Amino acid sequence: MYDNEHLLAGQIGHLCVVLSFVAALFAAFAYFMATMRRQNADTQSWRNIGRFSFLIHAAGTLGIIASLFYILVKKHYEYEYAWANISDDLPVQYVFSAFWKEQQGSFLLWSFWHVVLGMVLIARSGKWETSVMTTIALAEAVIASMILGLYFGGFRLGASPFDLLRDVMEAPIFAQQDYLSKVKGQGLNPLLQNYWMTIHPPTLFLGFASTIVPFSYAVAGLWLREHKTWLKPALQWSLFSGAILGTGVLMGGAWAYEALSFGGYWAWDPVENTSIVPWLILLAGIHTNLVARATGHSIRSTYAFYLLAFIMVLYSTYLTRSGILGDTSAHAFTEMGLSVQLVLFIGLFSGLGLWLFFSRWKGVPQVTTTKEIPNTRASNAEEAPFREITVAVEESAVSREFWMFIGSLVLFLSALMMTGATSLPVWNKIVQSIIPEYVPLALKNPMSHHNSIQTGIAIFIGVLSGIAQFMRYNERNWQGYAKKFAFHIGIALVGAAILTWLNAQWINVQAWQLYVLLFTAMFTVVVNFDYLFSVIRGNIKLAGSAISHVGFGALILGIMSTGLNKAWISSNSFAMEGLIEGAQSDELSKSVLLLKEAAMPVKEGYEATYEKDTIERQTRTFSVRFKKRDENGKDTGTEFVLNPNVMYDRQFSKVVASNPSTQHYWNYDIFTHVSSLPKAELDKDFAKQQEDSLRFDKYEAIIGDTIFTKKHYLIVEGLTKQPTHPDYKPEKGDLAFGLKLSVHALDDPKAYAAEPMLYLRMASGGFTLPATVGQLQMKIRLTEASIEQILKAEDALQYADFKVKEGEVFTWNGYQIQFKGAEREIKHPAYVAQPNDIAVAAGLYITAPDGRTAEAHPVYLIRDNRPYSLKDDVPAMGLHFRFQNIDPAAGTLTIGVAESNESMRRIPIEIAENAPRSDYIVLEAIVFPGINLVWAGSILMLLGLAISLLRRLMSRL
Amino acid sequence: MKKTHLIGIAILAIAIGVLISASNDVTTYATLAQAKQSGDKVKLVGLLVKDRPVEYNPEKDPNFLAFYIKDEKGEVGRVELHAAKPQDFERSEQIVLTGQMEGENFTASDMLLKCPSKYKDQEVYVREKRG
Repeated sequence: MYDNEHLLAGQIGHLCVVLSFVAALFAAFAYFMATMRRQNADTQSWRNIGRFSFLIHAAGTLGIIASLFYILVKKHYEYEYAWANISDDLPVQYVFSAFWKEQQGSFLLWSFWHVVLGMVLIARSGKWETSVMTTIALAEAVIASMILGLYFGGFRLGASPFDLLRDVMEAPIFAQQDYLSKVKGQGLNPLLQNYWMTIHPPTLFLGFASTIVPFSYAVAGLWLREHKTWLKPALQWSLFSGAILGTGVLMGGAWAYEALSFGGYWAWDPVENTSIVPWLILLAGIHTNLVARATGHSIRSTYAFYLLAFIMVLYSTYLTRSGILGDTSAHAFTEMGLSVQLVLFIGLFSGLGLWLFFSRWKGVPQVTTTKEIPNTRASNAEEAPFREITVAVEESAVSREFWMFIGSLVLFLSALMMTGATSLPVWNKIVQSIIPEYVPLALKNPMSHHNSIQTGIAIFIGVLSGIAQFMRYNERNWQGYAKKFAFHIGIALVGAAILTWLNAQWINVQAWQLYVLLFTAMFTVVVNFDYLFSVIRGNIKLAGSAISHVGFGALILGIMSTGLNKAWISSNSFAMEGLIEGAQSDELSKSVLLLKEAAMPVKEGYEATYEKDTIERQTRTFSVRFKKRDENGKDTGTEFVLNPNVMYDRQFSKVVASNPSTQHYWNYDIFTHVSSLPKAELDKDFAKQQEDSLRFDKYEAIIGDTIFTKKHYLIVEGLTKQPTHPDYKPEKGDLAFGLKLSVHALDDPKAYAAEPMLYLRMASGGFTLPATVGQLQMKIRLTEASIEQILKAEDALQYADFKVKEGEVFTWNGYQIQFKGAEREIKHPAYVAQPNDIAVAAGLYITAPDGRTAEAHPVYLIRDNRPYSLKDDVPAMGLHFRFQNIDPAAGTLTIGVAESNESMRRIPIEIAENAPRSDYIVLEAIVFPGINLVWAGSILMLLGLAISLLRRLMSRL
Repeated sequence: MKKTHLIGIAILAIAIGVLISASNDVTTYATLAQAKQSGDKVKLVGLLVKDRPVEYNPEKDPNFLAFYIKDEKGEVGRVELHAAKPQDFERSEQIVLTGQMEGENFTASDMLLKCPSKYKDQEVYVREKRG
């Protein structure tokens, strides 16, 4: 009933959704049966059914993904998903970004990684397969239900990515049979047209998805009461998960820093917090897991942390997808009505995990010893007076396992604090549903709140990651070891003191707490370096933990230097003095106004000049040159150009994104972005209003003459047929004129070039583009009358005809004109080739009496059996040429030559003075010292995790 | 008593201490009237009043923005913010401010804009007919 719809892809996709959902449910059931009946003969067949169902589920999931990609790549706008995220002009590499921009796409990404991990587990996990895969298949069923899009009465289960636009939206256009030919895609938010958006989400989602594996092992360990054997595979998987999730979060920080304009890599935004929380809990779990493997202590906490890490991933999914964060996050979330399902998801898995955890609590082994107690039950002297009982042994206070456990608790505390503050909107909602008059709470300043709490946490981590490194598991001979321990810690304290003093020379450490933080960070750096050389003697295989902890210290140093020494150089208190309304503290003035081509001194000896701007597609890029001068105002030779840009929407009427540009040095970065633009540049409607309200005075321009206005004079230099204008994109077939002017203020000899222009375009009509001289607040434009004048003057030309042969030279009014030959390749700007054209150009080379040379290439054209001539001219000499005709028999052609009398040509132009300036940008520029420490420290932390993982994979420890 | 219990209690005590000290970091959502009454730093949620002037004159001061906001109760008040005007300011559908009343003005220290239209324009584009 509708034309050209492609419904098959959506039907296949939807079928795959249902298939993948049912198959996952069935796989979970079969794997569950295989685990429950593991002692029976039929466990094999249940397992095989489980495998087969999971493979079907995998095929279904890939089928959904393929269908959705097909719809996006083919730009089938009948689907809402394609319509909302794709447009005809979207470069194909951003299809990935569009794919996982929406919730359904990111659920699919999550599901995809579960499928991949599930395959690896089927192949590798041996006897754990049935129990671990039960959990993973169940999670897959729940995720598949999120995109089912089935209705049960009033309740919708999941949001399908294959909904049709005409089903989702009500508009009169859908009454038309050929509506599809009129529907155009919305396109992708320019902020997301970015390579980070291509690599960050898959990495982050692999990190999130992989937390299910330690969770599933924990569930399996509890379920099967295999409290010790699960620890080994769980450790490998949690190291993997920690390294990948950490990389994903770090990429998010790098994206924010490189491509977003808030000026930083971390903002304590709820989205960031909820992604780092599972990572911190996972790290706590990795530490207790190591303890449990080495000593048998902390098995219960390892269970708890691995269960919680995945539960926190689910909670994070709920926070970011239910719309509850509403007005606390800068990330815009679309609410899809999945809140209930998401809460059930959390409830199911946390219920399952916690029920198993507490029901098995008693059976989890602890380290025990035997102890003799008085046998009070002894009734006669023959019975032993003492009897032996088994009691749990605590970790020794001087053992590594004790302090590692404390460290894990501190990591957990960090996660708890972050979660608490981020959950305020959830708390508000719960309390408000009970007490309607409750006033919702919010954090005054999330940045300072989190910073102050996490500073305390980081101090503890610094201390613990230092001292625990030199302690030993199962310490039994502390007396013998204490001296050695004290020696290494002593070295570290001295080293840390020296490094703290050195760093305090360049970092503006503002408070004693921050001195403590700096000291403890340096302490862990020195201890772990020491450990690297004196204990493991550079054996890189064992170096994982030391490298990670050095990385942590470096990260803290980097956070302190970027946070405390971050300086806005984009302010000019001198230039702004007296102009500022009200009291203005220094830190509030973060932006500076840069007028085009006017050098503006900013802080730290820099001078910034906004040089030019260029437009490509929807992006407008500004060039800002920075020059550094020393105290005496001398050029230091340090000079660079930054190119921040802004992106307009497709109507070119609004700016939708501002992208920064950063100059990198090894020890600091200079980060800039355009924080504001003149309103006329942001809003085309406003610009038009503004121009309409200007008073334009009429003048007549005669080439070579001068126009005097009230405050300025303009020298009319000439006409050009190849005008340049920032808003003009030449097209073949355009007839365009520009008037070259040199503009001066009456009292200032400096000349400004201006080139108002107009053009006629076949399909769309005539347009005039005014020239703006911002420095003089002038606007100059040509009018329709101008084009008449120009064309009329051309019509009135008197051509003198010459018959010439190839190579011949003829003379006209003192000009030597040589016809070098006929040209097959036509370069004439007004010529648009059509099939069956016969076209030839005459190559004419002109030498003026004063020695100047020029060339012209008039065209002779036969189209549809009719001859045409396209004239060419040399505006600088006022010469015009026509290729009149060809005489093939004689081998000659006729060239017409004419000279225009410029003084006869009075071109009306209009000039406005006192135009509001719109040739400026408002720039924010920030210096980030030591930013590379942040990246290097984070990378070292993740590298340490990766080394530990590889060692465990290779040595099968 | 076991060491781990002692440590547990210590950590619990620290956590409670931090939470108590953090209670100063918390503020409430308020309307203009409530903000006027209390004078405290609050969160204010509202809409940009599009028919009242938005003052932003970067040639004078690129870090001063003033505009009118309509809160959830429909009351209109003037807001001052010392920052450059965000690019998509006029398109915002919801504004969340942190700040306090100073005289007749609400002085904000930060501002969060919600611009769902940035992500989705709920209208169908009409493509011109060719041929």
